[in-house]
Amino acid sequence: MQNMNAETFRDALARSEKPVLVDFWAPWCTYCRRIAPAFDKIAQQYADSLIVGKVNIDEEPALAQQEQIEVIPTLVLYRGGQAVASIVAPESKAMIDQFLEESAEK
Amino acid sequence: MKHTETSHLYDMVILGGGPAGFTAALYAARAGLSAVVLEQLSAGGQMALSHKIDNYPGFEDGIDGFTLAEKMQAQALRFGAEMELAGVQSADLASNPKVIQTSEGVFYGKTAVIATGAVPRTLGLPEEQALTGRGVHYCAACDGMFYRGKTVVVVGGGNSAAMDALLLSRVAKKVIVVHRRDTLRAEKVYHAPLLNAENVEFRWNSEVTQLLRGDRLRGVSIRTRDRALEEEILCDGVFISVGRRPATHLFDGQLALDDSGYVIADESTRTAIPGVYAVGDVRTKPVRQIVTAVADGAVAAHMVENYLSDQEG
Repeated sequence: MQNMNAETFRDALARSEKPVLVDFWAPWCTYCRRIAPAFDKIAQQYADSLIVGKVNIDEEPALAQQEQIEVIPTLVLYRGGQAVASIVAPESKAMIDQFLEESAEK
Repeated sequence: MKHTETSHLYDMVILGGGPAGFTAALYAARAGLSAVVLEQLSAGGQMALSHKIDNYPGFEDGIDGFTLAEKMQAQALRFGAEMELAGVQSADLASNPKVIQTSEGVFYGKTAVIATGAVPRTLGLPEEQALTGRGVHYCAACDGMFYRGKTVVVVGGGNSAAMDALLLSRVAKKVIVVHRRDTLRAEKVYHAPLLNAENVEFRWNSEVTQLLRGDRLRGVSIRTRDRALEEEILCDGVFISVGRRPATHLFDGQLALDDSGYVIADESTRTAIPGVYAVGDVRTKPVRQIVTAVADGAVAAHMVENYLSDQEG
């Protein structure tokens, strides 16, 4: 799990051959804190197949705007540098698992 | 990419990781029982979304719900209880052992403690689900910050509606509270600050009849309960705070539920099924608070100890 800024975000998208899963969040967002343990678990569980990172939208407002993040927490999956799927405020770790499974073919 | 299936048999499987569930785990672990808490997201349940809890004794300056939940979890784990981020899919409570199917595999318990709590009630309007997160919200503490300088409607008049309205009044340009009665049902402590707030308006004896939408929410239609007046309120967001419903759909047909869907159990937390206990907000009880939830957890652990020693004796 890495905390990404605009630069490391661009690097990860440009260089990684694996898909990149990014959690856009902010410290004041209570629900973001709630999904953090599940997101950490996802990062461990998918360590072989995904690059997993977090972007604090308060520190990176321009990046959040560029990625059209309107609600947090939003998880975005990028493949080949492009956003291919996203999910807003998943209610359980199982929903994140399901989101990744369903996005696998996209 | 599933986890390895588990086949471990626990003395106590706890469904739900709020204050009741983790207290049951704490007391069970300290009594030498094996216990696992199954929680789909993270510790705390409804409490985890509360910015500040001022009525849980021992925290004289208040504490935020997420931190309190993490502390309860850490305390239970310190004595050997386990926690799995597992969503419960089905539960066979009558069998022995109890069989709990989850997103992370099957868990077996000599006993089961139902601590699934409650979730926000919806208005049941068309478009409500489609607009959720796009103007329709159920948690001001979570999503209120998106409405800085905007106009929002709060639906409800109880404690959580009052708390939401107060919180939003500090962020939003204008807050309009729509309530079915002619006075707030919330505790007195909330009345003065809300009624005196310059940017809070009230629509008494009124109900939301329609959510107006474009790409996202545009506003709401409301109507007085005597049907004399109708009004369209243009707003950027609506926060629905009309109470909660117990999360008991998994146990429908297995456990006796009251008319509102709460699991019927007395102060002993015992349900009609031997070895199955109901704790916290999910149980029929007069006062739903963190302090009564944690009390249930302790009682259930004690009942489980007795039950297991009877079984083995």
